[in-house]
Amino acid sequence: MLFVKKIFLFFKRESKLFHNNIVDLLSNIIFFFLSIFVFVFALGTDEQLLRSIGLGIIWSLLLFSSTLSLRKFYEDDFNNGVLIIFHMSGISYEFIAFLKIISHFLFVQMPFLISLPIASIFFNLPIIEVYNLILTFIIGSLILSCLGSISASMNLLNKTNFSIGSILVLLFSIPLIIFSVGINEYENNFYSLFNLLLGIALIFLGISPWSSGAFIKLALKNK
Amino acid sequence: MFKFLLNPNSFNKFSDTIFKPLVAITSIILVTGLILVYRSPLDYQQGLTVKIMYIHVPSAWLALLTYAIMTIYSIISLAFKIPFGFIINKAIAPIGTVFTVLCLLSGSLWGKPMWGTWWVWDARLTSVAILLIIYVIIIFLNQTFENREVREKTIAIFILIGSINLPIIKFSVDWWNTLHQPASVSKLSSPSIDISMLQPLLVMTVAFSLVGLIIAILRIKVEILTRKNYL
Repeated sequence: MLFVKKIFLFFKRESKLFHNNIVDLLSNIIFFFLSIFVFVFALGTDEQLLRSIGLGIIWSLLLFSSTLSLRKFYEDDFNNGVLIIFHMSGISYEFIAFLKIISHFLFVQMPFLISLPIASIFFNLPIIEVYNLILTFIIGSLILSCLGSISASMNLLNKTNFSIGSILVLLFSIPLIIFSVGINEYENNFYSLFNLLLGIALIFLGISPWSSGAFIKLALKNK
Repeated sequence: MFKFLLNPNSFNKFSDTIFKPLVAITSIILVTGLILVYRSPLDYQQGLTVKIMYIHVPSAWLALLTYAIMTIYSIISLAFKIPFGFIINKAIAPIGTVFTVLCLLSGSLWGKPMWGTWWVWDARLTSVAILLIIYVIIIFLNQTFENREVREKTIAIFILIGSINLPIIKFSVDWWNTLHQPASVSKLSSPSIDISMLQPLLVMTVAFSLVGLIIAILRIKVEILTRKNYL
């Protein structure tokens, strides 16, 4: 019962932090919409063209905007010692990483769900593609949170080269992009691709708490 | 017997003994290979451009081989806490990068006259380009962290994750419909390449790997010396 209470308190703290930093999140969403506008201005307003490439643009911009706030993932907690306090209260670093991933998924990625239908209106996407987009985004954003956790924990002691974290997220999100955009082109084997995406999400959900925990321990040892 | 593969001091001794003969053998084989390439027959369709193969194929194989060696050393050094693997990872990553660049450049020069385009988004070509990006990221990571332990372990874990790409490169020509041709040499029972072309290809492969080995030995020795002063 105590353990459940700890988890509950963890999420309560995360939601408070989220409410304090809501401007940060809103700027991510503004970045997403502004880059859509930039794309449309650059390509012209040909409806047919926009409809055919809209989904790919939306996905790549979602990726870029989710790498914007990556530095916040662990850095504040690491610098003010909250990670050690969590650990002293009996939660392992791996489980802290898992909880962090879930809270990042809930508080940072999920608000993008509201902006997705609006973004697809700009590109005149057919309704079935919007449905697929939302469905794949729910799973894909979980993968993005896992990748963000890996790269953010890796960069805890990195004082020189910050863009390498975003590069890593982009590199490992290649399979995510392939399957989540491809799900529209192969409608008759929708479920096989969807299951593949689900499998990738579960693999990353298994790997990333372990590797983030290892990186956090390494960073705390050499702080 | 194979202690020189895991211990820096034994490696230094062993490489000192073999280095001069190795250079001599390499130059002989490289010259022989170049003569064989010069005398090898022209293709009835491709003409002279078939000779790009003698650069393209060995560098592609060696790019993959270098990454595989790095993967094996990452596993060894992470699992058994042997730091020599980290030295090797740092030393041979640029060699793999050079081989990958050679492979992509020669392939591009070959593709223009044969396929009519410098670059296609074909599964084989794309996966090799991703390999190049992975190599470059490894080199960047080597310059990134101040703390040595963090840097070494981070790179080793990154190499392990990136090794997913190796089977994708190998089997991309079988899994997808690609413009790139499937393997012609690795079918050991009956290679679909004529013996007069296979001979120079194999000699050039041996020459390329020996050249890579010589550079690797030099780089590893420099790395060992740097660390001894540093520690």
